[in-house]
Amino acid sequence: MKRKTQMLLSIMLALVFVFVTACGSSNNGNSGNKPAATDNAGEGGEQAPAPMTIRLASGDFNASWDDMQSDIGKFIQEKTGITIKADFPVGGSDAEMFALMVASDEYPDLVMPKGNVAQLVDAGALMDLRPLIEEHAPNLKKVYGEYMNRLRWSEDDDSIYVLSLDGVDHQYFDAGGGFQLQHQVLEELGYPEMKTVKDFENAIKTYLEKNPKTEDGQPRLGLSLNGGEWQILISVTNPAFYATGAPDDGEFYVNQETLEAVMHYQRPEEREYFRWLNHMNNIGLLDKESFIQKYDQYKSKIASGRVLALIDQDWDYMEAENSLKAEGKFDQTYANFPITLDETFQDHSFQGTGYIAGYGIGITKDAQDPVRLIKFLDYLASEEGQILVNWGIEGKHYNVIDGKRVIPEDIQNMKTNDGNTFKKSTGIGNYNMSARYGDGVKDSTGNYFTTNFPEQIQTQYSEADKKTLAAYGVSTYKELWPADDAFPERKYGAAWTLPFETGSQANVIFQKTQDIMKKRIPEAILTTPENFDKVYDAFLKDLEDAGVDKLNAEFTRMVKDRVDLWSK
Amino acid sequence: MAGIKVRSTGDKAFDTTVYIIMTIVGIVTIYPFLNVLAISFNNSIDTVRGGITIFPRQFTLENYKTIFGFDGLLTGFQNSVLRTLLGTAVGVLSASMMAYTLSRRDFQARRWMSVMFAMTMYFSGGLIPTYMLIRKLDLISTFWVYIIPAILSVWNVFVVRSYIDGLPLALQESGKIDGANDWTIFWKIILPLCQPVLATIALFIAVSHWNSWFDTYLYNSQRPEFTTLQYELMKVLQSTQANTNYRDPNAVHNIAAVSPESIRMAITIVVTVPIIVVYPFLQRYFVKGMTLGAVKS
Amino acid sequence: MKPLTTEDASKRMKGRAGSRFWNKMVQQRYLYLMSIPFVIWIFVFSYVPIWGWLMAFQNYKPKNGIFDQKWVGLEHFIELFSDDRFYLVLRNTLGMSIMGLIVSFTVPIIFALFLNEIKGKFFKRSIQTISYLPHFVSWVVVAGLITKMLSTDGGAVNQLLMSLRLIDEPILFMAKGEWFWSIVTISDMWKETGWNSIIFLAAMSGIDPELYEASTVDGAGRFRKMWHITLPGIRTTFMVLFILSIGHLISIGFEKQFLLGNPQVIDYSEVLDLYALNYGINLSRYSYGTAIGIFNSVVSILLVFTANAIYKRVTKESVI
Repeated sequence: MKRKTQMLLSIMLALVFVFVTACGSSNNGNSGNKPAATDNAGEGGEQAPAPMTIRLASGDFNASWDDMQSDIGKFIQEKTGITIKADFPVGGSDAEMFALMVASDEYPDLVMPKGNVAQLVDAGALMDLRPLIEEHAPNLKKVYGEYMNRLRWSEDDDSIYVLSLDGVDHQYFDAGGGFQLQHQVLEELGYPEMKTVKDFENAIKTYLEKNPKTEDGQPRLGLSLNGGEWQILISVTNPAFYATGAPDDGEFYVNQETLEAVMHYQRPEEREYFRWLNHMNNIGLLDKESFIQKYDQYKSKIASGRVLALIDQDWDYMEAENSLKAEGKFDQTYANFPITLDETFQDHSFQGTGYIAGYGIGITKDAQDPVRLIKFLDYLASEEGQILVNWGIEGKHYNVIDGKRVIPEDIQNMKTNDGNTFKKSTGIGNYNMSARYGDGVKDSTGNYFTTNFPEQIQTQYSEADKKTLAAYGVSTYKELWPADDAFPERKYGAAWTLPFETGSQANVIFQKTQDIMKKRIPEAILTTPENFDKVYDAFLKDLEDAGVDKLNAEFTRMVKDRVDLWSK
Repeated sequence: MAGIKVRSTGDKAFDTTVYIIMTIVGIVTIYPFLNVLAISFNNSIDTVRGGITIFPRQFTLENYKTIFGFDGLLTGFQNSVLRTLLGTAVGVLSASMMAYTLSRRDFQARRWMSVMFAMTMYFSGGLIPTYMLIRKLDLISTFWVYIIPAILSVWNVFVVRSYIDGLPLALQESGKIDGANDWTIFWKIILPLCQPVLATIALFIAVSHWNSWFDTYLYNSQRPEFTTLQYELMKVLQSTQANTNYRDPNAVHNIAAVSPESIRMAITIVVTVPIIVVYPFLQRYFVKGMTLGAVKS
Repeated sequence: MKPLTTEDASKRMKGRAGSRFWNKMVQQRYLYLMSIPFVIWIFVFSYVPIWGWLMAFQNYKPKNGIFDQKWVGLEHFIELFSDDRFYLVLRNTLGMSIMGLIVSFTVPIIFALFLNEIKGKFFKRSIQTISYLPHFVSWVVVAGLITKMLSTDGGAVNQLLMSLRLIDEPILFMAKGEWFWSIVTISDMWKETGWNSIIFLAAMSGIDPELYEASTVDGAGRFRKMWHITLPGIRTTFMVLFILSIGHLISIGFEKQFLLGNPQVIDYSEVLDLYALNYGINLSRYSYGTAIGIFNSVVSILLVFTANAIYKRVTKESVI
């Protein structure tokens, strides 16, 4: 009898499973495995182009890929006849995915290889796009404009292998980084001056002394850092250069005049920053679990409203902040400040880079019809194409009212609250596969190309934000930072985009320095103040022993090469 | 000697201790699972606050809806079931055949075969050569790539062999006397007696097939008709993790509506429940006191 | 009835020496038929890809064929053996794997023994089913749970210890490098004991019940039965699994150490497989990664065959 019931239960369970799955997928309306490759030709449409199915391999996993079933996807299919089948690295790394491609010498039509370009170029897998662009792609030329020279591969090889997908002339409208303090702390202390680490520290100390526990008796934490996982770079070490007047050049500091590079930890100013963190730990303001907590733990501490201060980027703690907002606890969310070590430094977060020319898309030698593909990419880069992939279809995803593009409320709601469904059903955000303008650039109708623009920022601020901003006399957090043009543009773009030669000795040394840093920096911060210098000296010595001088020399060479290349 | 079993106080104390210890073990091992279950039914924004134990605080089916809303799950499920059934049958049969031949001390080729098989557990040619071999054999983009490279597990061979070694030799002798050849002895005598160990390796092989996704990723990622359940779930999981290049100013850091933690938990449940359902059928084969039939003398 | 063996023996002695081999082969043809297909299979799938080991002696770049590469001899091995970090990770790997080996061959057996002593069928089956559930919970989830439990910010373990007045201040468990190995081992024990005990349960159920009955008649109590019947009964299984597991001491993966670890315990948590990933494939240094793989394999095989040889010497039996 028991056996029978078990059998029955399991069959029922299996049926439920099948039922729910079938329901779920049909609700989303997508179950198509492959669109008929040859039958799509527009019947009766005399200008409908011949259909072609192409393969794209992307190194960045895109969960909301819609397989051309979204509104935009279908539009593109009709207009260009092209159907894209996309591959992503699932669970494995993108390095593996492209390595196997090279080993088997079989390539899809298009690739977005991220940092693996060098491998593909070595293997001769990518086509030189320069002649194709010259002949068939006027829009690409237009968008890249004077930055076209930044797409050039190297000194000896002036081919263009990848079209960079970064937005041209991109502007930032708000600051997501810096140092964070809860609004309630600022309010209680009367919105004191917030410029240096001392200001920051005093605010935390004063508030903590007065309010050591929350209403439910939970202890408050002064400052908690996200240092237990890879984010140690974001929350612990990057702020060291931001607070001491250097821009983000990866793990290095580049002297703007001589173009010499050193690992940024080797700067004496940064030693003092870490000394300050050590001091914070010594007086009990630093969360002792900063370097052992998992990301989930960090988020849940923030979401409980007990953490007074953070040093992080907004996307890293956004999930936790959203949780607070959902509960209406806006005064426990955070304000951002460009804190520096002392008054002599300024935060260089926004120091210009010109066009970054980072990761992009390339056409491989196995492509069925390169000319058609470059024309396709050209279409996406045209004004019509860019508006399509950013805004969507007129009448469906936006309306033009008095000449201005406006997003209807229901679409906007879906976008804010249900990002994945939004992407999948509309397709917005899935087709940024070609050259494009960044935020802040206007098109021929006077509207912005993208859907991020300054007026929007205000709508995203809560009451608490507005109060704090008003108290400091600004309307966005970014205004607290130095202006975009306060510092000269870096001639090499951003140093973190410089790729190491695959398998080079410098790359190995770099990895070693990262391992050393992960051990020594927490050690230096958590030791006694008397011991700090000893540990930091040991850290620098470890770097030397690992070959940091060679690494610096190599990186300097890379920077100089880049400057030469881009000034042609 | 009296045949009546008298339970001494020592016995009783022992029994009680065992029950207490096992209950503690039960609680300690089921708690995390209940915790996972609770979080999987909990609203994801609320989950970030932590502090959930064994009951959801804000009940929701959203996490499961997200998972089941992904296409390919049904196909994945079907393929996984098919591959598990087929792969297990093949795996059990092959392991037991091989184990029997290696258990025969008089087998001519025993020594070198044994060594040859054993060594393979400790080395591998690497990802690239294996991939190219599969390519050469035209197994890419097929269903058989799940079965053929996984026909035999050497580990299981040795496990079964050690079990066969424990069976009385008299059985095989009697078979020979009756004029049976090696195959008949294997099929009619050895196999039926190996139920416990066969059930065990069936479980291991089945779980291995059920959980595997890397081969789907390597060889079948362009064939949605051959996808497997775990692979689909992997995709779901990856989709909820902000994986973008954090330094890239242009990358839009989407925070998915459903947080990674809740999804991870829901996925765990989805994967485990079928196994829990099937398990009792196998359990009776190897938990003592439930074996069907004793050794035939 | 005469035993079969004598007839066989006389037949064999009659045959000529040269054809003895072939005779036997024919005689054992079924055994060959049952095994040769698998020999072929394993040759194809396990031995053929070994050509990849050549990569370790080159500066392999995927675009060329295997014979079209630059040969560098033992350069990668020399680099490996002169790297301090290599010895550090090796120490960590062996430390944790030996601890793990000992635990995983004692605790599951004790668990299985206890399980067998349970009389209530329902309780027995339930506990057994519950016990393997943690095996299916991924390490990501488990590591999160463990870290939370050992946390100083409201973690269960610290709360318990403090309420029992055993400590005054919460202990930062996860920050102590020396305790890391134990934390990993205990976590693994909790996660895998139930699953690992299955095989011992299977072995135990194959023991002839008559042996137990006979011993009851002889007046044996529970412990004596365990010691004299159950344990010896699973001896073969135990020894086979144990010796084969010795071969896996070096390549234990890195997932759990990586997930449970953090920058403060990094000197104790990094293991060989993680090192291979970070300095091999992730930097596209296939040759270096392959060299580490070869090192792993050679050491594993040496360990297993040595263990087997010792076993052979002591018991005259062989696992392989």
